[in-house]
Amino acid sequence: MDPNKDNANPTILNPSDLPSRRKGDAISNREDGGTGLFDGLVPTYSYLSDPFDVPPSPTSSEEDSPEAIDEQEIYDLISTISDPEHPLSLGSLAVVNLPDIHITPPTSSRSLISTVTVEITPTITHCSLATVIGLGVRVRLEQALPPRFRVDVRIKKGTHSTDEAVNKQLGDKERVAAALENGTLMGVLRKMLATCE
Amino acid sequence: MPLQISHLANFTPPASTRTWQSQPHPTLPLLATASSDKTVRIYSLTSFNLITTLSGGHKRSIRSVAWQPALRKGDAVLATGSFDASAGIWKKHYSGDAVESLNHGIVSTDENDNDEDDDDDDGEYAFTVLLDGHESEIKSLAFAPSSRLLATCSRDKSVWIWEELDDDNWETMAVLSEHDGDVKCVAWHPAEDLLASASYDDTIRLYKEDVDDWEQVAVIQGHKATVWCVTFEGADLPGLKATPSEELSQAQRDFLIQRAASGPRLLSASDDLSIRIWRREPPADDANAARNTGVPSIIRSSNIDETWLEEAQFPGTHTRAVYSASWSTTSGLVVSAGSDGMIVVYKEQWKSGAEEDVGTEWTVVASIEAAHGVFEVNHVVWAKRWDKGRRSEDEEVIVSTGDDGEVKVWTLEEAVGG
Repeated sequence: MDPNKDNANPTILNPSDLPSRRKGDAISNREDGGTGLFDGLVPTYSYLSDPFDVPPSPTSSEEDSPEAIDEQEIYDLISTISDPEHPLSLGSLAVVNLPDIHITPPTSSRSLISTVTVEITPTITHCSLATVIGLGVRVRLEQALPPRFRVDVRIKKGTHSTDEAVNKQLGDKERVAAALENGTLMGVLRKMLATCE
Repeated sequence: MPLQISHLANFTPPASTRTWQSQPHPTLPLLATASSDKTVRIYSLTSFNLITTLSGGHKRSIRSVAWQPALRKGDAVLATGSFDASAGIWKKHYSGDAVESLNHGIVSTDENDNDEDDDDDDGEYAFTVLLDGHESEIKSLAFAPSSRLLATCSRDKSVWIWEELDDDNWETMAVLSEHDGDVKCVAWHPAEDLLASASYDDTIRLYKEDVDDWEQVAVIQGHKATVWCVTFEGADLPGLKATPSEELSQAQRDFLIQRAASGPRLLSASDDLSIRIWRREPPADDANAARNTGVPSIIRSSNIDETWLEEAQFPGTHTRAVYSASWSTTSGLVVSAGSDGMIVVYKEQWKSGAEEDVGTEWTVVASIEAAHGVFEVNHVVWAKRWDKGRRSEDEEVIVSTGDDGEVKVWTLEEAVGG
């Protein structure tokens, strides 16, 4: 036991139990016949340089939607982030979980904005690093997703003693922007994100 | 909706990273834009081209800018507030000829200055003062209409008031630590030395000088999340005055008299998606009487306290945080913008209906989605229109500032068929 860690003995999931499209498991897989539930929900915008704007594979949905992003992809982007105090990924610590990721499509036909909501589950209820973990998730998604996504990262209700205060910080654009100009904090975040491909 | 918002121009060249805020100069056709690239761009409101870039003054993002009300014609004094916790004062004076050139959109860029080096006041803006004191990021700053007071606010939960004793000599006049969270925005009353601040603690607070000390005189509660923006109505209460008074009922005239006693109202925009208007209770007669008793008040007089009540909430149009709202001092129209990328214009109108139910309501008169494409709009402000297409002396444009780095100009047009 390391007394310096908030949670010296966390529960660790077996990597083979983590949700992944690569293993062809039960998660919806649009390449395999169009069961991607969210393919049609995300409109396309040709004028944006969009890192996800890859040409559609020949088997993709008939709507020819080139850049559908689903919950599994969001999960893949953030589950490989390292925990700031354990040499383990947020996925294997069950801090991020596929059922706690939600994508909301644009609210009207003229709006271009989709919202990604990620609820994170800190390993223990008073984990002081919850804010840093949440910030890491938000930064990872803001850097990896096209700008039409608004990223909302929250602490899952009831899993943290100060979840509302943490949520408010994570939702504050100005604070997040200032945090990214803080060298010490960026060092921590860079280390956390180094394990993302 | 009788009006529509039409895109007129983008200021060029834009910043390549997030821009936070833009402010038009009070009298010159200049627009200053605060950017996360640690610089301020000063654009011409006549030609929409870049005039100059202020750099080297700050180590981190510049979050906000404010022009000092000009003491002399041609004065351009800009305050910058940065995430590096400091504020800077930049100065330039435009000669009569230079003002003429600006008004006609003849932009003399820095390069041109070198060619025709005949006018020494056409040089660069000089970084004259660094105001140090805040412990963390400065979020907003504002000059009082009297021009010698500057308010700054910060994540350190405090509001500072600085006084310019003489040229370039600024002194801390007050440090107000009433808020329980980041202070996001400060704004001065247009006619009194009354300061408002908005905060992460969901409140708005107002301050006044009492004898020698600045004191909090009111706390406004009501918003359910961070208040991003506060701003006052124009001093001469534009808007409803547009209606000829002979068309008003007696009750409506009484309503306007009551409103005039309250003075300019306060507008706030919040993370709770709402935009609200607050009105000061006119001082009660007995309070006036107490003030005139002639009894010297040893302890702080209670009669400087003010009561501000919620007067209106705007129709809920925004679907994400509202970062900015601006109240036209010319037309009385309000414009708002935020995370959802929308720009919305609202107008105050008399309530239709029963004679005894006299009051006003705000309706949406124009809106546009995706004003900056998929990007968030951080700031929106009314500015006097200066370009060649200006249709009247008092025509205004809307200037929006976004996460895409762009600063855009919009006009209000009569809707086709409307």
